[in-house]
Amino acid sequence: MSTPRPTSQSARPTGRPTAELRFEDVTVRYGSARRGHTAVDRVSLTVPPGQVVGLVGESGSGKSTLARAAVGLAPLTGGRVLLGGAPVPTRGRRRPLQMVFQDPYSSLDPRMTIGDSIAEAIPPGPSREERRAEVARLLELVHLDPDRAAVRPGLLSGGQRQRVALARALAGDPQVVIADEITSALDVSIQGAVLNLVRELQRELGLSMLFISHNLAVVRYVASHVAVMRDGVIVEEGPAARVLADPHHDYTRALLAAVPGTRTPRRTP
Amino acid sequence: MAAQRTRQPTRRWRQVVRTPLGAGASLLMALVLLLALVAPMLWTDQADAVDTGNILAGPSAEHWAGTDNLGRDILFRSLVAARLSVGLALTATAIAIVLGLLLGTAPMLLGRRLGRLVTASVDIAVAFPGLLLALFFAVIFGVGARGAVLAIGIAGAPSFARLVHTLVAGVAARDYVAAARAAGVGRVRVLLRHVLPNISEPLIVNATIGAGGALLSFAGLSFLGLGVQAPQYDWGRLLFDGIGALYVNPAAALAPGLTVLLAGLAFNLFGESVAKGLGVATLGHLPERRSAGPATSGPPTIRAEEPVVAGDDEAPVLDVRDLWVSFPGADGPVQPVRGVSFAVRRGEAVGVVGESGSGKSLTALAVSRLIEEPGRVEAARLQLLGADLRTGSERAQRQLLGTSLAMVFQDPMTSFNPTRRMGGQLAEVARQHQGMTRRDAFGRAVDRLAAVRIPEARRRAGQYPHEFSGGMRQRAMIGMGLMGSPALIIADEPTTALDVTVQQQVLDLLQAIREADDVALVLISHDVTVVGEVCDRVLVMYAGRIVEDLAAADLATGAAHPYTRALVAAVPDMETDLEQPLAVVPGRPVAPGEVPAGCAYAARCPLADDRCRAEDPQLASFETPDHRVACWHAGEPIPVDGPREPAPVDPVELVEVDAP
Amino acid sequence: MTTANSAVASTPATPTSGPQAGPGGRLSSALTHHWVRFAVRRLARLLVSVWVLVTASFLMIHLIPGDPVRGAMGPTAPAELVAARREALGLDDPLWVQYWDYLRGLATGDLGTSLISQLPVADVVAQRLPATVSLAALAFLAAVTVAVPLGVTMGVLTRRGRGRRTELAFTTSSVVLATVPDFLLGVGLVYVFGVQLGWLPVAGNVGPEAYLLPVLSLAVGPAAILARIIRVEMVTVLEADYVRTARAKRLPAPRVYLGHALPNALTAALTLGGLILGAMVASTVLVENVFAWPGLGSTIVSSILNKDYPVVQAIVLVYGVGVLLVNTTVDVVLALLDPRSMIRED
Repeated sequence: MSTPRPTSQSARPTGRPTAELRFEDVTVRYGSARRGHTAVDRVSLTVPPGQVVGLVGESGSGKSTLARAAVGLAPLTGGRVLLGGAPVPTRGRRRPLQMVFQDPYSSLDPRMTIGDSIAEAIPPGPSREERRAEVARLLELVHLDPDRAAVRPGLLSGGQRQRVALARALAGDPQVVIADEITSALDVSIQGAVLNLVRELQRELGLSMLFISHNLAVVRYVASHVAVMRDGVIVEEGPAARVLADPHHDYTRALLAAVPGTRTPRRTP
Repeated sequence: MAAQRTRQPTRRWRQVVRTPLGAGASLLMALVLLLALVAPMLWTDQADAVDTGNILAGPSAEHWAGTDNLGRDILFRSLVAARLSVGLALTATAIAIVLGLLLGTAPMLLGRRLGRLVTASVDIAVAFPGLLLALFFAVIFGVGARGAVLAIGIAGAPSFARLVHTLVAGVAARDYVAAARAAGVGRVRVLLRHVLPNISEPLIVNATIGAGGALLSFAGLSFLGLGVQAPQYDWGRLLFDGIGALYVNPAAALAPGLTVLLAGLAFNLFGESVAKGLGVATLGHLPERRSAGPATSGPPTIRAEEPVVAGDDEAPVLDVRDLWVSFPGADGPVQPVRGVSFAVRRGEAVGVVGESGSGKSLTALAVSRLIEEPGRVEAARLQLLGADLRTGSERAQRQLLGTSLAMVFQDPMTSFNPTRRMGGQLAEVARQHQGMTRRDAFGRAVDRLAAVRIPEARRRAGQYPHEFSGGMRQRAMIGMGLMGSPALIIADEPTTALDVTVQQQVLDLLQAIREADDVALVLISHDVTVVGEVCDRVLVMYAGRIVEDLAAADLATGAAHPYTRALVAAVPDMETDLEQPLAVVPGRPVAPGEVPAGCAYAARCPLADDRCRAEDPQLASFETPDHRVACWHAGEPIPVDGPREPAPVDPVELVEVDAP
Repeated sequence: MTTANSAVASTPATPTSGPQAGPGGRLSSALTHHWVRFAVRRLARLLVSVWVLVTASFLMIHLIPGDPVRGAMGPTAPAELVAARREALGLDDPLWVQYWDYLRGLATGDLGTSLISQLPVADVVAQRLPATVSLAALAFLAAVTVAVPLGVTMGVLTRRGRGRRTELAFTTSSVVLATVPDFLLGVGLVYVFGVQLGWLPVAGNVGPEAYLLPVLSLAVGPAAILARIIRVEMVTVLEADYVRTARAKRLPAPRVYLGHALPNALTAALTLGGLILGAMVASTVLVENVFAWPGLGSTIVSSILNKDYPVVQAIVLVYGVGVLLVNTTVDVVLALLDPRSMIRED
């Protein structure tokens, strides 16, 4: 079903089993107690091992904040983020939870070669040679020429950059990957290739994934479960097929109704 | 790899020296540094030679700038003073930079609370002028060279700290820093590997300018008698000694004055030209690549007039024939729009679809006469409501466009003037074009805001744009277009910046306006589904051309151009088959400066053959008169296995397109 | 005695009077709310700044290595005299007592006594202040009057990469003019108009025409920098989406430039401009020394050289307050021009 690529390269060096990502009562507040703003309000959400959970919401719904809180980029005001039952490490070099960012034009250091950017995310241990080989393997995994490791991101298109960003996330040997709106900054003819790659990687590597997007059609294509977020609260969640076909919450219905192309197209007069 | 890392900056630095100003400044700079290095070695004896028989003499053949009160040669003293002056200035600058870097990066390293304290202290200190701080510290450290170095160095630290802080904050907000932190890279390492390299250029530029400032401040302190003390002398000290004798030997003050001025200029001009050189390299809006093939050959003069509006006697609202837009590029003009022809009938909704760089937005701006020099617009015909927009008085055109054409832009957050109230911004239109009084125009504005479903319109009219939500602003923008009585609304990506639920409201509003007043709509979007839902007819643009013109209802199944078909298939919708990979268009969209010969899409097209690569197909009728396609293989089936997976390696060959 | 005191005491009044003189009655409640928050925050910042300033000026005398009194009176002064003077100045008291006395003195307008002339410092300041204030104010006015029209015109002429040569000529000459330090320009002007031509007085405040050269020396550099900043901001603003909107409304060009672009360019320029204008207050020190101007600037230099620390302390304080006043005024003007700037500071 997926693209017929040789599977030899999908062999993971450490072969770490994927684990469950669980948000328990996660709250993120910004500002003072009196004049603050609750971006994420007691959210509980589980990403089962080897599954893709799509997190849908509009701007300001708190979905990106939730992602940033998981990797330690936003401070948790309350609750826990557990990976395989243990708190997600947000200090130290081992990061089993990795994140891919929205804007590929800002997520790669313009002064670093893409090889260095990827190598930086490899946990310490391997020798220089092993790192180089690992970078080459990762580039191949995302369909980029391994010989281009010495190139700076300025020479790459948005789609290529986003693939480098995916390779960097995989370099951390993650059990779970969070993808935050990774196609919304891309041209439409390119976004399809990135979505295909996400599905391919997820299936080949058996990754667990939290896939965040404002685009319901994209989430539907990638995710097996869907959670709908609004004003910092998850209003509905369930299997993708069920939520999208038979939404229980009004807001989910409103979102679905607003997807362009779902209403009868106009006829030419 | 290391060589590769430095290559690109060197190239940009070299660009600095290439301009006449940059070359001159660099030369002057080198001269000053050389003088500081060698002058004391060469001329110390002449500068210190006392000639009591020749005190306070004016310029002569022997002493070009005269002598001082001990008969010493002013010119030589001015030259020899270079080392002490420049040396002290550089020392002070170094102190300022080190302190500035420590204070400026402290917020990042110390964490939130302590960092805030440091930032707040710097903010307070930076409000006080450097000279005042220098005087303050000069009192503490005592009069003399050492005290002055410390005073000027410490006085320069707050502004440098502020600069570093701002730059660091700018880089720290970038996702690559977040990505490195999320990958477990430590704070210090992030600072050294990601932040400092990316702010080094502005830092160096400002340090250079700062050194010039320090040099002049030093001269100032010495001039006041607070800096260097006799028998040592720097330029300021010489000036201090010379000004007393201004009436006797003006050269005694003017010579050191001029040297210090030249040295200050050297630092400042060098810094400015470096800033400018680097800035220019990062600014260029249009790619610098030369375009290959026919794109540079300019618009062809004669072209077949195509039957655009078939079977319709009524004059179209908008009639465009052979529209070209060009901008000057580094290697000749670049043409982002290349011969576009279309017409819009009364009440019709036409969608223009394309990716970034396809020329869709520029087409809209060209049609609405909003392209400014140095951009050029040419067309065989450009008519709005039958009036030729290429000729006619500016006044008459302003009136016509101001009342009959409404524009809606992409980003409602930036499209209103942030310093003026909403009501006034709308009312302005009526005052300008309908000659209304302030009161009437404001009333009309309130009425229009209500018409675009803004609740409490009167109160809202008194508010500023930042008090409106995004969707409300976009509706207000539409309301502004309705101040006149538009026959055509051109909306350029009106919903791209909005959430889906809000997008639907805006699209519904546009629809309602169309139906109520039979207003025509040109909707520009990258989103095929949006256009397919709202419009009657769709123009698909690629590389500055219309490649297909078809009924919106035919988008899903009746498209004939391989690009249109790929575009529809590449975007998942709520019916996409989950078992199949999405269709993929290999390669990337063509940038305006690099349009190849032949069909611009050939390189990405599964149907392309030699003819496609050699000859550019024209837009021609396909099956029905209303359906136009520019393709040699229009309607041919695409190979069954679909477009192949992109080659494992995408060509990586383009010049840098983004500013770092 | 009262002048210096009122300069300090009147500062808190400025920001609070801003909002009332502001946009008037048609404010939405949200905006009023922002104004109040802005006023409170700005006032707090001003008070903290004044406190820092007062404390710094107090500490100055204690940070000087060695015995300041001995330093001032010279190594030959008899030890009993030094001890007596220390006693009179209260320097032998515990630090916090001295701090308290200093604050209490400030509150009552007592700035201490000069070590050299034995005159009350407040009298010295009061006598010298007007000359400095009038000089700075005139230079301030001159700089703004020249810079704004010049910067706007240049911005319009060089928008969207037009007028490359004009831009180069303007930028280069403004860099050159901004580089010329005020005191050097002063010396040059003295030489040309005083020594060579003999047209204008070059020393002292001897009549209205005496202002011409010092004001010129003070204003040229800041005017050049300010004009340059305004040009850059104007060019940036002219690329903004809302200027395109204004053009899409088909307004005549002058209305687009002056009505839509200028206010935005000014708000952006003011942020930096405030610092530059504040710096002019301090620049008077150098220029006054060139022109033997009977203001605070020549007094502070001779006092530093004579180690007359109470006078130095007081004048530093007065300059600092002057700078803070300029900054606060600029912030209030900024808030009047652009309501977002009040919120942005949060």
